[in-house]
Amino acid sequence: MTAPGQFVFDPNRCTGCEACVLACWMENRAQQTQPWRRVYSFNGPKHPGLPVFQLSLACHHCDHPACLEQCPAGAYARDAATGAVVLDSGRCMGCRYCTWVCPHDAPRYAGALGTVEKCTFCQSRQAAGLEPACVARCPVAALGFEPRDPAGRGALPRGFPESALGPAIRIAAPQRPGPELTAPPEPAALGRHWGSLLRIPESKITLRGEWTLVVFTATLAVLVAVLAAHAAATPLRASWPLQGGFLGAGLAALALSTSHLGRPFRAWRALTNLRHSWVSREIALVSAFLGLAGLQLLWFPAHRPLAWAAVAVGFLALWAVDRVYQVALHTGALNFHSAQALFTGLYLAGILAGSVPLALAAGALKAVLYGHRKLHFRRQGRAGTPLLSLLRLALGFAGPALAFGTGLGALSAVLGELLDRCEFYRELELPTPARALAQALARIHPA
Amino acid sequence: MPVFTSACPRNCYSTCSLKVTVEEGRVVAIDPHPGNRATADGPCLKGLSYLERTEPGSRLLQPLRRQADGSFAAISWDAALDLMAERFAAIRARYGPQSVLYYAGSGTKGLLNGVGMTFWRLFGGCTTTYGDLCWPAGLEATRLTLGDNRHSAPWDLAEARLVVMWGKNAAETNLHQMRFLEQALERGARCVVIDPRRTATAERAHLLVQPRPGTDGALALGLAHLLIRDDRIDHAFIQAHVLGFEPFAESVRAWTPERTAQVTGVAVAHLEALAWELGTVKPVTLCAGFGMQRYTNSGQTLRALLALLAITGNLGRPGAGWVYANLQSDVFSAVKDPLDFYPPERPDGIVRVSVSTARLGRDMLAQDGPPLKAVWVERGNPLCQNPETGKVREAFRALDFRVVVDERLTDTAREADLVLPSKSLFEQTDVIGAYWHPYLQIRQKLMEPPSAVKPETELYWLLAQRLGLPLDTLPAPGDAAVEAFLEAKLARFPGLTLAALREGPVLAPGHQEVAFADGVYPTPSGRIELWSEEAARRWGVDPLPAYQEPLESAAGARGDYPLQLLTPNQKNGIHSQFLDLKVIQALDGGPGLWIAAEDASARRLVQGDRARVFNDRGELFLPVRIDLGLLRGCVVAFNGYGAAHGGSVNLLSLGRETDLGHGAAFHDNLVQVEAAP
Repeated sequence: MTAPGQFVFDPNRCTGCEACVLACWMENRAQQTQPWRRVYSFNGPKHPGLPVFQLSLACHHCDHPACLEQCPAGAYARDAATGAVVLDSGRCMGCRYCTWVCPHDAPRYAGALGTVEKCTFCQSRQAAGLEPACVARCPVAALGFEPRDPAGRGALPRGFPESALGPAIRIAAPQRPGPELTAPPEPAALGRHWGSLLRIPESKITLRGEWTLVVFTATLAVLVAVLAAHAAATPLRASWPLQGGFLGAGLAALALSTSHLGRPFRAWRALTNLRHSWVSREIALVSAFLGLAGLQLLWFPAHRPLAWAAVAVGFLALWAVDRVYQVALHTGALNFHSAQALFTGLYLAGILAGSVPLALAAGALKAVLYGHRKLHFRRQGRAGTPLLSLLRLALGFAGPALAFGTGLGALSAVLGELLDRCEFYRELELPTPARALAQALARIHPA
Repeated sequence: MPVFTSACPRNCYSTCSLKVTVEEGRVVAIDPHPGNRATADGPCLKGLSYLERTEPGSRLLQPLRRQADGSFAAISWDAALDLMAERFAAIRARYGPQSVLYYAGSGTKGLLNGVGMTFWRLFGGCTTTYGDLCWPAGLEATRLTLGDNRHSAPWDLAEARLVVMWGKNAAETNLHQMRFLEQALERGARCVVIDPRRTATAERAHLLVQPRPGTDGALALGLAHLLIRDDRIDHAFIQAHVLGFEPFAESVRAWTPERTAQVTGVAVAHLEALAWELGTVKPVTLCAGFGMQRYTNSGQTLRALLALLAITGNLGRPGAGWVYANLQSDVFSAVKDPLDFYPPERPDGIVRVSVSTARLGRDMLAQDGPPLKAVWVERGNPLCQNPETGKVREAFRALDFRVVVDERLTDTAREADLVLPSKSLFEQTDVIGAYWHPYLQIRQKLMEPPSAVKPETELYWLLAQRLGLPLDTLPAPGDAAVEAFLEAKLARFPGLTLAALREGPVLAPGHQEVAFADGVYPTPSGRIELWSEEAARRWGVDPLPAYQEPLESAAGARGDYPLQLLTPNQKNGIHSQFLDLKVIQALDGGPGLWIAAEDASARRLVQGDRARVFNDRGELFLPVRIDLGLLRGCVVAFNGYGAAHGGSVNLLSLGRETDLGHGAAFHDNLVQVEAAP
């Protein structure tokens, strides 16, 4: 049984007993620090008009696995015999980007290990002719295993995260409509409590958890803008505060981003997947930018083409940063964000270089994008923060306009951008099964 | 790697067969055993959690003695045996052997469990309990009605066209029954669940009937009224097999839909719909749960439920029947449950059977001539699981000497003077039956116990030796004597040997796949008895299944305590077992108080608040969980959590017996809830 396979799941049989979670633990407990398979509920609060059903989900070993493609460290591989998408924890540097790009929440970061861990498809069992442990030990035969068949999977049920990755799982359509209750809750009482029951799990990206990345990207944008202003200045001159400040901030930013890794000593592995991974490209471009800028500032302070080359690489690095975050950006029709690193870099460059046309153009673009996404989220029913918005607009736009060309104006612009970047982190959203199921419920019965 | 047949010996319907893989003296895998048709897809998460539960790091490995400051210190077996011999001999000399209470719970099944009572008889006698916490009212109702506690094989459920899960949440308490329910549904059957809670099982139903707890008897009588009124009954079956139909029909005339609706809270339209379904769909299998028969009126309740099957002819046929307890695999007992846990009509003067399990604390305190001075507890955790935890604790603390045999430091073990570590299920061979499927199984020894853990049989033998008791009727230490003991029990049944059981589960000799298919009902009249003289004589109840309001709600206590506390089991534990395992706790949400939205609002409680649940007997503090599927007027707190989780639900229950069978009516339990201060 070593032809590539796929999971089958029948929610009509599953009772939510979670034996599959323990079956997986039994097989993998030497390696796992947390469940690799989880049982999710649709309609956990038991809304009387809807059925309650479960989805038992692990890694789907997708046809087009984003984790494998996007891993900067090249830690993922496809096993040809079983079709398993396998993580080599010895190569994982703990950057967690795979946990962002997987809408199925299969790779999970193990804090104790400093690496990510995930379902192995029970490769060793499969090699021995056995089904994966969760399938073999499902007490109600709700989990199955069959030859991989992308065409025959059919529709996925509501609440299953939408994904273009080709998750290798076939899920039977939930058949049971849920019981008619002889004593359903009174609508008024239900309404009073529904909001508190309908809790949508927190996004995987939070400002609290990722503040080091906020500082890193903001610093990078400022450095690119500073270098652009430097390159455009006449005469071209590198003062020691510029040299020291630039290099100090650059090294601090690099250190900060490395400290974000679970295994910082494997940071060099970030360059091993330039062919596919935007994280790899980001790291490479950021390194190149800092290297070129350092070269220019320290050794060729009057070399303008080198300065412009460094600036160009810097803007490319900002663009790569934005591509890394693209997976979590959902701001409506214009899927751009005013706090995207590239726009921030351009805007700050305009302000620092004293270029009114650039500052105006970038500022206008940012203002339009800001308004657009605020309206979009408002239409989605997400609560706005008008005071914060006001502060962001005042610092980011009014401040620099009133004090254009001064240090105070530039500081105001940077603070405005930092605020926007913080909002950006709060607005990023990664789909997960738990969120998708809660959102599906919220769509049917909003709070 | 060697793979062995075993079975999970817990107090659970499913009693799964297991295939256990052992590597270097350690269990490394537990897998489905296809030899058991009822559990062929393997055990539930608890069965899989044995990997942790049986590991040395997770259990008691040495005898523990309580110190003056209340803490425990490890002592040697020699010291433990000397202490026990000295204390038990002294207590026997001063107060007589009946001053020792022998309390055995249901934590582990096995024929070797009988060795305990053999020892205490050799000791000169003891006091012991009668009745049972679990299921006697229903067993007695079934015995009185059908003559025997047996039902069709689990897989027969797939043949039903209508499955009524009455007070049974199989998805969490009898997981493997869900496979057969699902098979029935896949073939187009319908399912009705009768439960105040919208359980995982209820998701399979098209109708969830939510009667007020304790009124199921009235619901059944009201349904019988409708079935008879509309002539949707099986006259030929009644003619052939039923005793007392006419007086029964006469008695249910009073149970008009309006009156039934008023008592049960189920609207007339729903009563009519359910009666129509019961009367027109055939075959019907009615699976009755245990929780519903832990009320003061519940023996009569279950007799009323049984009557529905009797008058519609849904007994003795494939896909039809009463699924309550299937004691067909209990081939070893001369007297089966429930009769074997009644006090003997003629006491033998050696074993005093005078403590009601349901009233354990109160009855322990009330014993006289002699009073109780010592207790021996095995396979049980009465301080968590018996009614009125406060009284049980008081009775334990009033004793001079307490011995508890357990795998872990339970709430009861923490009260002991001496805690003796018990074997795991993989450390001694035993033979077990089941009460849902009809297989006999072996639970075989796969490894030696940790060095300072002794199986109970060895412990009894050593203690008997210390006390100078004759040893010839006790199995000696070592595997040979245990296997000889078991083989002697099996010898009555040709072909049934330990060797055969090692191959896989064996259907009980004489097993009836479709229960009562022969039309033979071993009641006094030989018929299905809706009218039972024995019920009236033995229990002083109406010979017909009449309805009485449960005592606690009838007593008018609803003013102060308006909420019915339900204390069901849930999938992550068997009573108080398993809930302390790390691998279970990682999944378990812990204790909580589930409350209907209206009842929460009336108390200004919202999701996540801390609530105080209380009555005159005690109080508990639990996080509020709003339950949109719960009948108003009910609150739910799962049983099994003990002191480590803030206290047992039995702090709130009262020790009293059911109307039939000496069961524990601890579900007859009213409380009030308020925001915790």
